[in-house]
Amino acid sequence: MNKYQLYRQISKNKKLAAKRHPMFERNKAMKIFGYCFAAFWAVYLIIIGIALAFGLSDASCEAYDYINGGFIIFLTIDFFMRLGMQETPAQDIKPYKLLPIKTNFLMDIFLIKIGLGVINLIWLFFFIPFSIKAIWLLPHYGFLNFLSYNIGIWLMFVANGYWYLFWRTFINQKMIYILCPTIIYGALIYFGMVNQEWLYNSSMNFMRGFINGNLLSYIGVIAFIFVFFLINRFFQKKFIYKEISKFEKVKNVRSREMSFLNRFGQIGEYLKLEIKSVQRNAVVRKQFITGVICMLMLCALFSFTEVYDAGFMRTFICVYCFACLGVITLTSIMCVEGNYIDGLMSRRESVLSLLKAKYYFNCMMMIVPILFILVPIFKGKVGIWEVLGCLFFTTGVIFPFLFQLAVYNNTTIHLTNQLTKSGQSSKSQIIVSMVALFVPMGIMYALITLSNQTIAGIIMCIIGLTGTILNPIWLRNIYKRFMNHRYENMAGFRQTR
Amino acid sequence: MKTWQVSVKLDNIKKTFGNNVVLDIPDFTVNSGDIMGLVGNNGAGKTTLFRIILDLLQPDEGGKASINEFITHNTEDWKDFTGAYIDAGFLIDYLTPEEYFDFIAKINGMSKEDLNVQLQKFEHFMGGEVIGQNKLIRNLSAGNQQKVGIISAMLHQPGLLILDEPFNFLDPSSQLAMKRLLEDYNKETGATILVSSHNLSHTLDICTRVTLLEHGHIIKDYDQRENNPGSDNTESTKLDKQQIIDEIQHYFEDNQ
Repeated sequence: MNKYQLYRQISKNKKLAAKRHPMFERNKAMKIFGYCFAAFWAVYLIIIGIALAFGLSDASCEAYDYINGGFIIFLTIDFFMRLGMQETPAQDIKPYKLLPIKTNFLMDIFLIKIGLGVINLIWLFFFIPFSIKAIWLLPHYGFLNFLSYNIGIWLMFVANGYWYLFWRTFINQKMIYILCPTIIYGALIYFGMVNQEWLYNSSMNFMRGFINGNLLSYIGVIAFIFVFFLINRFFQKKFIYKEISKFEKVKNVRSREMSFLNRFGQIGEYLKLEIKSVQRNAVVRKQFITGVICMLMLCALFSFTEVYDAGFMRTFICVYCFACLGVITLTSIMCVEGNYIDGLMSRRESVLSLLKAKYYFNCMMMIVPILFILVPIFKGKVGIWEVLGCLFFTTGVIFPFLFQLAVYNNTTIHLTNQLTKSGQSSKSQIIVSMVALFVPMGIMYALITLSNQTIAGIIMCIIGLTGTILNPIWLRNIYKRFMNHRYENMAGFRQTR
Repeated sequence: MKTWQVSVKLDNIKKTFGNNVVLDIPDFTVNSGDIMGLVGNNGAGKTTLFRIILDLLQPDEGGKASINEFITHNTEDWKDFTGAYIDAGFLIDYLTPEEYFDFIAKINGMSKEDLNVQLQKFEHFMGGEVIGQNKLIRNLSAGNQQKVGIISAMLHQPGLLILDEPFNFLDPSSQLAMKRLLEDYNKETGATILVSSHNLSHTLDICTRVTLLEHGHIIKDYDQRENNPGSDNTESTKLDKQQIIDEIQHYFEDNQ
């Protein structure tokens, strides 16, 4: 097998790995969603590119000079965009490590694949339409200038990709390393563009070299790519050995009794599980912290600013102050439990107790937005009925809706996955979270339009309170339906464990 | 001490994945108080059978597994007196062993005192490596995780105990302790015990009945006890330990 054949074989294996992954069925839903999302961004970039080509040109400066001067901003966005899309090759190489293939050669293959990746072409959706108007159609430039410019742009993003890979290797080790590139990009933008203009001017001149076909610009970027190719090869090789000999740092665990929950009997035991799951599992913790941060941000916006003071938006944001944590954490309800579903299912009604505990836990978390929203209540910015309406609408309508996913979710979430690993969602998760986000908006809009905010609040309160009081009934109904789906769900959990 | 009377009855149990029949047992009974060892090669259907008994897998239409009078997929009543450990999918691995035992005890209605009394019985089996380590279950060795799983299945003193490959990952002294635990538990409580194992010798040491399962079919059903009624419809053969080992070895040699 020659080197090219090996390259083809590894590429084929990578495709098969994605295709035959147990998550493939769910990936399909995610892929369709992803394609729509990508199409939206492609169109968006094309429109922005054309608009800027027309809008930025004035007598003193060409449009391309503006864009070239601020190119660091594109590189910054590109860098952070890659965090969710591009991973390191060290894990991919692991299965090939014992085969009679030189590690350097393997590493080169994976690094070349990264350089030639589609991800480096995304920005051309912006730059091609932009440069058609801003370069090609100018009297003193032509097609060759347009072409050489876009080749230069592509090389710049390839270089940014290798620069990203270098930092990503360290970020995989410790999340804190993300601060380094953040500080570097932040400092470059602040000291090179905002405070002074040295970066703006040098970037403009350097990028103009691509338009003019100046070899020095190409040599500069190719040298950067080459140097970072070698640096990545070195660090990735080191990283493989870390991967192979990897062992989890075992910390001593301090057990907490949480005896205050003992009075709730079996549900109290499951409440303890909920709390310990958040404390000890990186993925669950990340999800919970994200939800709490969103909740706090919305609460702060609502309580201390006047951004959302207008009629409908006020109620809308108020509901999401209460609901956002639930929307973020409950869309993957039961996915954590997929790790030990057999243990749960071999004990009588344990899933019912677990669902009750999850419901009470999420209801208890409502105390955070309540405390915040006391501020606008005392300021007279929002009425008490409106707030109560939003609170009970969340616990009695939005939560029951989100809990329906317990019947359909059948994908296990790995509890100790890396924080930066891109997540996977199923079709039902996407649909239900969308519905949970937008249906309340429709109901509230109808209520507020037909009456006023106080009456709308009272109606929402009555509907929500009914749902909240009836929680034992709808939770048992969900449990019964879960039991009807149990074989299918258990099989799904086992396959994805 | 309770004296259990728990039997397991399989009726027309069949499981197919696609066109592949992985289990086909027309009729089989495990009598109350039996320690039944299930032996067979990988893929014989041992774990599938245990999962079907525990209602973790659905048999093909028409099949039913019953524990005493309860058909397992119709009711959850049998769960109160059944303990099982198949694999790590039974363990809540972000708890410490102490927290996990405490959790299992509480959801089974045991008091703290009962739990401590029960845990004392497993002291020798745990070998000082499970309790007091301040480690999460996921950070324990495979052997110690296996011990946590087995203990948690036995903690509430079930009338039916199902263990899949309980000797796996255990060191020799833990294997011996395991054998003694199961024998003593069966004698003290009259519980019915189902274990599967690749280790013929261990299985024959503790089991009153040994069943050979191959390609989803029960090939042989040996009874080591005199005057044991055996299964209703399976002809059980009464032989001594060495004879059974010889027969099973011959079977595997002939069917290689």
